[in-house]
Amino acid sequence: MIHSRARWLVALVLAFGLLAAACGSDTKKGSGGGNSTSSTTAAAKKLAAATLNGSGATFPQAYYETVISEFKKPQPAVTVTYGGGGSGKGQSDLQAGLVQWAGSDSTVKPEDMAKFKGPFLYFPTVAAPITVSYNLAAVKNLQLSPDTLAGIFGGKITKWDDAAIKADNPKATLPADAITVVHRADASGTTGNFTKYLVAAAPTAWTLGTDKVVAWPTGQQAGTANGGVAQLVHDTAGAIGYVDYSDAKAAQLVFASIKNADGKYVAPSVDSATAALAGATLNADLTYNPLNAPGAKTYPITAPTYILVYTAQADPAVKAALQGLLAFIYADGQTLAPTVDFAPLPAAILGKAKAQIAKIGA
Amino acid sequence: MTAIVPPTGSITASTATPWRRIKSAMATTGIVGSLFLALVPLVLIIGYVISRGWSLMATSEWFTGSIPILTRAAGPGMRPAIIGTLMITGAATAMAVPLGVLGGVFLSEYSGGSRFGRVVRFFAEVMTGVPSIVMGIFIATIWVAANGFSAFAGALALGCLMLPVIIRTSDEMLRLVPRELRESAYALGGRKAGTILRVVLPAAAPGIISGALLAVARAAGETAPLLFTIGFVNDTNTSLFSGNNTALSVQIFKNATQVYPGSQERAWAAALTLIAIVFVFTILSRLVSTFLGRKHQS
Amino acid sequence: MTTTLEAPALSGSQRPPGRLLDRTFRGVVLFAGALVLIILALIAGTMVNKAMPIFRSEGLGYFTHDVWDPAHAKFGTLAFTFGTVVVSSLALLLAVPVSIGIALFTTEVAPPWLRKPVTYLVDLLAAVPSVVYGLWGILVLAPALPGFYDNIHSVVGGVPILGTLFSGDPISGRSFMTAGVILAIMITPIVTSIARETFTTVPQSLKDAAHALGATRWEMIRAAVIPHSRSGLVAGILVGLGRALGETIAVALVIGSSPQISAKLFSSGDALAAVIANQFGEATGNTRPALIGMAVVLFLVTLVVGVLARGYVARAERRTGGAV
Repeated sequence: MIHSRARWLVALVLAFGLLAAACGSDTKKGSGGGNSTSSTTAAAKKLAAATLNGSGATFPQAYYETVISEFKKPQPAVTVTYGGGGSGKGQSDLQAGLVQWAGSDSTVKPEDMAKFKGPFLYFPTVAAPITVSYNLAAVKNLQLSPDTLAGIFGGKITKWDDAAIKADNPKATLPADAITVVHRADASGTTGNFTKYLVAAAPTAWTLGTDKVVAWPTGQQAGTANGGVAQLVHDTAGAIGYVDYSDAKAAQLVFASIKNADGKYVAPSVDSATAALAGATLNADLTYNPLNAPGAKTYPITAPTYILVYTAQADPAVKAALQGLLAFIYADGQTLAPTVDFAPLPAAILGKAKAQIAKIGA
Repeated sequence: MTAIVPPTGSITASTATPWRRIKSAMATTGIVGSLFLALVPLVLIIGYVISRGWSLMATSEWFTGSIPILTRAAGPGMRPAIIGTLMITGAATAMAVPLGVLGGVFLSEYSGGSRFGRVVRFFAEVMTGVPSIVMGIFIATIWVAANGFSAFAGALALGCLMLPVIIRTSDEMLRLVPRELRESAYALGGRKAGTILRVVLPAAAPGIISGALLAVARAAGETAPLLFTIGFVNDTNTSLFSGNNTALSVQIFKNATQVYPGSQERAWAAALTLIAIVFVFTILSRLVSTFLGRKHQS
Repeated sequence: MTTTLEAPALSGSQRPPGRLLDRTFRGVVLFAGALVLIILALIAGTMVNKAMPIFRSEGLGYFTHDVWDPAHAKFGTLAFTFGTVVVSSLALLLAVPVSIGIALFTTEVAPPWLRKPVTYLVDLLAAVPSVVYGLWGILVLAPALPGFYDNIHSVVGGVPILGTLFSGDPISGRSFMTAGVILAIMITPIVTSIARETFTTVPQSLKDAAHALGATRWEMIRAAVIPHSRSGLVAGILVGLGRALGETIAVALVIGSSPQISAKLFSSGDALAAVIANQFGEATGNTRPALIGMAVVLFLVTLVVGVLARGYVARAERRTGGAV
């Protein structure tokens, strides 16, 4: 009798095991289907439920938020969040494994590489101008050259009617008010790119180096995130600060035209940013530098932004969701970009970025 | 001893020199003035919060809708944060109140004058002054680093803040219970634990509950402990242990530094909601101590 | 006696469960009491442990240097300590006289029917969450103050020390002074409450004696109430100080996040708790231990202030027979 019971048991276990294996491979196939990197998102299969928490740069925040709300429509089972907080937060959250994806405008410093749990990939997503927004009722079309910028943000030029500013704006009547400089209080990729530009374009005038946090001179104001800087510039007469184009436009700030490498004063716009991207050379890890690009119509302070993702992914649902999200960004996402005042990637970069999606989880 | 009030227009008044009377009048003016100095900000703050927050909060979408994904979008939706605040504060209360009351029982009933008891009482009082940011960093370091963001992590941080306050309140309320109550219970053959549970605690209950409600009110408004422990979401997350969450206080903090009027409006409305929650608990606390406390007065 | 007692049955079968309940209850209660010590020890231990790297690498310079430059591994916290001290001192200077005034109003000046409502109203100030103070501060108070600051500066600008103190570029209104004002509003309720409790313990006989000798109200307060309440008032000031030192969110929003050591109270600055709140989320490498180190400093300072306050409360209690 025991013998027959044991046989039943074995049969049951075997049957269960076969069933589980069949189901397991089914789900694998299902998520494998979502893997497709086809250019139209409508063709992508429905992804399994997953949560993608993200944090990081506030520079592309408006874009990622738009992507997240549009991505919900074809993929309702995937919950994506983006908490912002600055490029520094994105990097440190990814290091701690608290988020699945991080937004960062600046590349990770070599000494910080070891803090990550493993190798990660840079996925360029969009680019946009960093505007120099200011609050001066009397002047609507301010023009600034790199050296003047370096003087203002470095604390050497303190009044609006300074000779350097007058030289950049021969026709304007500048008031004798004090300049209130607004910089970022938190660790910011926007600060990193803005100072990187100043190092490249005004090497002798700019002495503070480049990093996500810089030793600004005392007496300046600090805002938290791009929104905070925009808030201070908006509310403070005589203020000047660096804000991403999308936020500056949405907050109805006035921004300056900057003298580019070709000597022309160019205003920030999606077109002038796209022009800056045209000649950018891509590194092997897909980072690139569109700052201070040549060209008559380029806006010189065009900044890139990346999504950082670990190469190794333990959870197949998360891996598929990440690949789906990135595929969406490189398809419908690129058409969405100009609607929120971001410049889409040029074809050369887009192709390589799409190909890198397959490396996730490889 | 009845008070001797200086009669008006009597000897005292007439013998005081004019300068002394002027000084006294000036002092009284200063005293009354300081009252107004404190009340003016109260009126201003509550006034602003109501005037700027009411229109957004008085919509049904405010309580049912998710937080808009686009930061610059205008419009209501704070349900995830409202539920988050209630959930996190509730979990913190569930952890801190039982432990706190038991701690108070220890101090008033079991420690006697022992050195250990005095040390505990001393450090409980000292712990009430620990800055809330320190609690937040503490939990972020020992819990979040290993387990990720969650509502529970926030509840742990809030619970650590509430615990010493509840211990102190319970201790004080229990010590107010007259000794005769306990002695009669023992005289009737009760044991210590039974007496405490059936006689002493119920007698002190109104004061303890009132103190606990006040601690809950304070905890609901805390921001710093939650900043690094709960993460960020747009949709309601009812799971206590898994997944990021958000709370009204954190939402207000985030939106306070935004430039968009829509974000700022949500901040004001969230502030109004938060003040409403805090006031409800504060008023409940007063009611409990006034009405239930009266019942137990011998 | 209004509470009914349950007379337990005195049967023999009752005894074993009773004893078990007693023992387990005792154990549970002991654990609950010890929990405070355990948690405090954990906090102190973990944080000091995490901050050790920065203490070792920076040494005393951590406390005495004023350059905070994480990008170049320079961690000097002097500017933040300065900000915390300045803002807390301002808060005390503004709040203590007002709180004493309110407490005197409640105990000496107000008619009896007005006392409770006033107390409730002032306690309402304590019920408003700190982040709401910060929101109001950053969106309403800070933008409204620069004009006010300019007026003050134009009045005292010439006076040697005052002129420097009451100066600074207050364009955005986010400054030491604004943070001090908000903090003062926030600590007023607790200082008032302690002052009020202290004043109510002044024996009526003392006040009557003053009246009998022909004192005016103010002279009675000066002669009888205040001297008797010294310890209680010091305790109240210390408790207010502890609250002000640890206050994070409201200060973080209105202080300006620009660390500097400056005598100009109308200029922006930064404070210990505020910089931790602003930068902890993104801190990596050595910055995190540096911020935790600041949290350790805050923890120790509030501990010391709390101990001192407790000492003065005990002294006041001894004087008044346990009423405070």
